[in-house]
Amino acid sequence: MGTIITVTSGKGGVGKSTTTANLAVGIAKLGKKVVAIDFDIGLRNLDMILGLENRIVYDVVDVMEERCNLSQALINDKKAKSLYFLPASQTNDKDILDREKVRKLLLDLKKDFDFIFIDSPAGIESGFEHSIFLADRALIVSTPDVSSVRDADRVIGIIDAKSEKAKNGEEVEKHVIINRLKPEMVESGSMLSTQDVLDILALPLIGVIPDDEDIIGSTNTGDPIINKEKSLSAEAYRRVAKRILGEEVEFLDLKAKKGFFGAIKGMFK
Amino acid sequence: MSFLSKIFGKKKSSASVAKDRLTIMLAHERVDCKLPYLDDLRNDLIEVIKKYTSVEDIKITTSNNQSVDMLEVEILLGKK
Repeated sequence: MGTIITVTSGKGGVGKSTTTANLAVGIAKLGKKVVAIDFDIGLRNLDMILGLENRIVYDVVDVMEERCNLSQALINDKKAKSLYFLPASQTNDKDILDREKVRKLLLDLKKDFDFIFIDSPAGIESGFEHSIFLADRALIVSTPDVSSVRDADRVIGIIDAKSEKAKNGEEVEKHVIINRLKPEMVESGSMLSTQDVLDILALPLIGVIPDDEDIIGSTNTGDPIINKEKSLSAEAYRRVAKRILGEEVEFLDLKAKKGFFGAIKGMFK
Repeated sequence: MSFLSKIFGKKKSSASVAKDRLTIMLAHERVDCKLPYLDDLRNDLIEVIKKYTSVEDIKITTSNNQSVDMLEVEILLGKK
């Protein structure tokens, strides 16, 4: 049976879809059979980040309403051969998902795949509930700013309340991913540090992704950054992928790039 | 705080202000959020107690001291 991993955050725009795409590719490249599902009904996004938007025929709602077979809707990634993608529906009715149909779909996928990544919508409404109720694990993405951390905390507080696993006395395994960290700003005291965020959220860390302008470029072209060999953020994602598989990997040493003045300033600290 | 900022009397860093604000804010928010079942529990309790006697209201308050989380249930049975 596969593992369902829900990527969530509470606040929108913190990088849930980017995280989902990169980790799904990363784990597929490590030889696992992975499916990434976009649960952001009405606001499809994961397709473009994965660069698969032109190949969509059917979507997740078509599968659930039995307008097509699961295999007809699954899109195979070009590069990562063991990665499949199931797109969100573009309907305006965001309450279209039905709990029992979601259950059937996810249990079917669990039989065929090692990992099922669910890109949850922002917010804590029904879409979020559908994304989380069967989750085995949750990855909470937060950027180091007050609104994102606050919303992340709120989401963490309700995951267990919405989860079936928790109702059966088990716990959903929860980890924090800190996204878009700027080491320079942390060092100058103008951004919350990784430790600050962890102190507040009181959950184990599974990855810190440094802020990286190249990610915009890779979203532009539909080629997830993790496919790039020489990139710090790609390396950060690769390490998270390994940690998800249970490997112990050192955390990247994210330090500010120091210029001449920075080096002198550092001497006074 | 660095040596230089001590000399120039720089203000507390904005990151530490952010951390303080969040810590205080979340301490408040977590109380409601930690027990999302509180309303349901309250309604269920009313139903059960109704079987035996009349009940006017049930107050459930949370408290915690260092190691124990507690729910205090106060059942108002109505006037004699």
